[in-house]
Amino acid sequence: MIPRLGEMRLELGVAQEAKASLGRRKFAQKLAFALLWLAGLLAVALLLWIVGYVVLQGVRVVNLGFLTTRPAGGVSGEGGMSTTIVTTLYLVLLTVSIAAPLGIGAAVYLVEYAGEAQRSSRPTAALIAVARAGVEILAGVPSIIFGLFGFALFVSFMKLKFSLLSAGLSGACLILPVIIRTSEEALLAVPRSYREGSLALGATKWHTTVQVVLPAATPGIITGIVLSIGRVVAETAVFWVTLGGSYRLPTNLLSSGRSMALHVYMLASETRAFDKAMGAAAVLIVIIVVLNLIINYTSRRLAARSMGR
Amino acid sequence: MGTSIEDDQLAPRAERAGRPWLVTGIAILLGIAAIAAIAEGVWLSVRPGQVGPGSLETLLGSGILAALLAALAHGMWMLRNWARVSVLLLLGAGLLYLLVTTLFDVSARVFAGESVVPLGGIVEVLVAGLARLSAMGAVPGLIMWGLIRYGAAFEESPAQRAFVDRGVRRLLFATALSAIIIVFLIIVFTMTQAWQSIAEIGPQAMLLGTVWRPGAVIGAQSGQFGLLPMIYGSVLCTFGAIVLGVPLSVGTAILLAEVAPPFIREIVRPAIELLAGIPSVVYGLFGMVVLAPLIRRIQVPYNSGFGLLNASIILAVMIIPTITNIAEDAIRAVPRGYKEGALALGATHWQTIYRVILPGARSGIVAAVILGIGRALGETMAMIMVIGNSIAIPTPLTSNPLTLFLSSARTLTGNIAVEINYAAGVHRSALFFTGVLLFLMILLVNSLARFLMRERS
Repeated sequence: MIPRLGEMRLELGVAQEAKASLGRRKFAQKLAFALLWLAGLLAVALLLWIVGYVVLQGVRVVNLGFLTTRPAGGVSGEGGMSTTIVTTLYLVLLTVSIAAPLGIGAAVYLVEYAGEAQRSSRPTAALIAVARAGVEILAGVPSIIFGLFGFALFVSFMKLKFSLLSAGLSGACLILPVIIRTSEEALLAVPRSYREGSLALGATKWHTTVQVVLPAATPGIITGIVLSIGRVVAETAVFWVTLGGSYRLPTNLLSSGRSMALHVYMLASETRAFDKAMGAAAVLIVIIVVLNLIINYTSRRLAARSMGR
Repeated sequence: MGTSIEDDQLAPRAERAGRPWLVTGIAILLGIAAIAAIAEGVWLSVRPGQVGPGSLETLLGSGILAALLAALAHGMWMLRNWARVSVLLLLGAGLLYLLVTTLFDVSARVFAGESVVPLGGIVEVLVAGLARLSAMGAVPGLIMWGLIRYGAAFEESPAQRAFVDRGVRRLLFATALSAIIIVFLIIVFTMTQAWQSIAEIGPQAMLLGTVWRPGAVIGAQSGQFGLLPMIYGSVLCTFGAIVLGVPLSVGTAILLAEVAPPFIREIVRPAIELLAGIPSVVYGLFGMVVLAPLIRRIQVPYNSGFGLLNASIILAVMIIPTITNIAEDAIRAVPRGYKEGALALGATHWQTIYRVILPGARSGIVAAVILGIGRALGETMAMIMVIGNSIAIPTPLTSNPLTLFLSSARTLTGNIAVEINYAAGVHRSALFFTGVLLFLMILLVNSLARFLMRERS
């Protein structure tokens, strides 16, 4: 009888302990989850604080006059930001028109042609592996290094001076990996059957790529280009060392200029005209938010389309 | 492209249209251009007073031009597809050039003055630009349209098709190499520019030197180029950013992946992604205008508000998106079975997360943090705006060691950005050495992260 009593006691103890432990564990869970929610809330609150503060302070100075007047230059901090908007637009056009053909071409090769070429010869396979590693490395290079590189190659060595062209070429290097990666993903998402159908009809590889695969991948590629437009609009370090910073409008590819983000930096650090800097920053944020909305919209539609298939 | 595969390939030759008059016209025009080119070359070289070594080159140049034009004319006449594509490409390039110059011209006139308003002038300039564009672009545009429209009339032999296919393949291979070529060029150019400082000062003196005084390059006395203060600055503010940012971002990642209902994730994830897209100057501005006055309230002598603490907070916010996104993906990648097994054994949700899911996602989370470190080390503009940019090794302001973070400092990135625009000689070379150092550090950090992520998959 005694052992049985002991067993009973033991069972009772285990049950009690289990009950207590369950209470403890539930408490621990509540505490932990509370901390997790706190972290999430804090992250979002920081975002709202920064964006909200800059936008709310900024809209006070933003009006039609601010947007359409050029900066006064020098250390006065007077004037608007018209030329910086146009210069940013030039830079976006320039960088994208340089980087998009290269990047999309690279992605097409890596997705459509690389597999076949890798099997055909060993040196080619090694070269393709190196090319892929190059994309990875380039994606991790910080922007100031692109700036240094552009300064050494385009500004000094090629004697393009501080100019739109120097900045555009350096910026193109910056967004090249972005375009390659997103285009690769877009091409990979195109079903195999599309290619097989086209090839079965007797089209060449190139015909198939241009007339079947690329049209199907276009939305994804455009998402990548919008993403890289955002990078160019937001970029400062590269343009700080390659664009020169003139407040005048560039009249040709070899003249200096000032992008919006650069304008914010120069106002804040050289003139102390913080209100104007806030205004320009608010315009920047609005542009970035709009670009993000476009990306979200297109990628959501893409997801919906691939679900429906 | 108006031509579809069927038009090109499947229509029997007999059914195709004959040579359209437009194509005949283009061929004749090209022929006339070829004759004109050779005539001009001959005239320029036999003209009195022009006989000399230059005349032969002129003749040769116009001869080549005429030959090319004649070849194109012949190709058009014979309805060869390569001629069509070449003419299309040439005209396309011309039109693009016209478009770009007009665009520059119009915007230069619109924005050249102090202000765009009053708007009256804009309409005038726009109309003038459009008129120029349509006047000069009409004929090439029409020809291009015609060539595209009558694309089916041109023939392409299978050999040509294969030739194009091979050519395109080579061209695409070249573009695929563009990224690695840029990496190579970056290494070559920063290294060659840094070489002078490596030769004259020595890498050891730069890496371990504690004094950065480039200004002393007057007369025979050379400046001092010790990078240790900046290395300290970079490491300390990255450390601060990790301490502040990692709990926030990993917490958010766990919340989004495991705890929060889907609709919260739908809102929070895009918001975090937005955080990644915001320009770094905006963060810097925020640090200058909002954080600096707040930090200045801490009653410590020489506390300016600009320094490591400010930089760490800004950096912590900037690395949140990087870490959160990658860590969340890593947590989601843990097999469902692990979680279900733990829950079935009676573990609470938190125990499952803490004991099963997080260990399973560990290498991914560590990789996320390392990528965050890489991002923090490379940040430039926001740092030079809030860190104070002093060139001394940061030291605590009082006897309390924590006041170290109130001290002003300078990062490696900031060192480059602040001084590169006016540096020359050894000074400039030393800045490029800073870049090489930074590049190597980031390469190391990123390859470590990649290694960890590959190990996971």
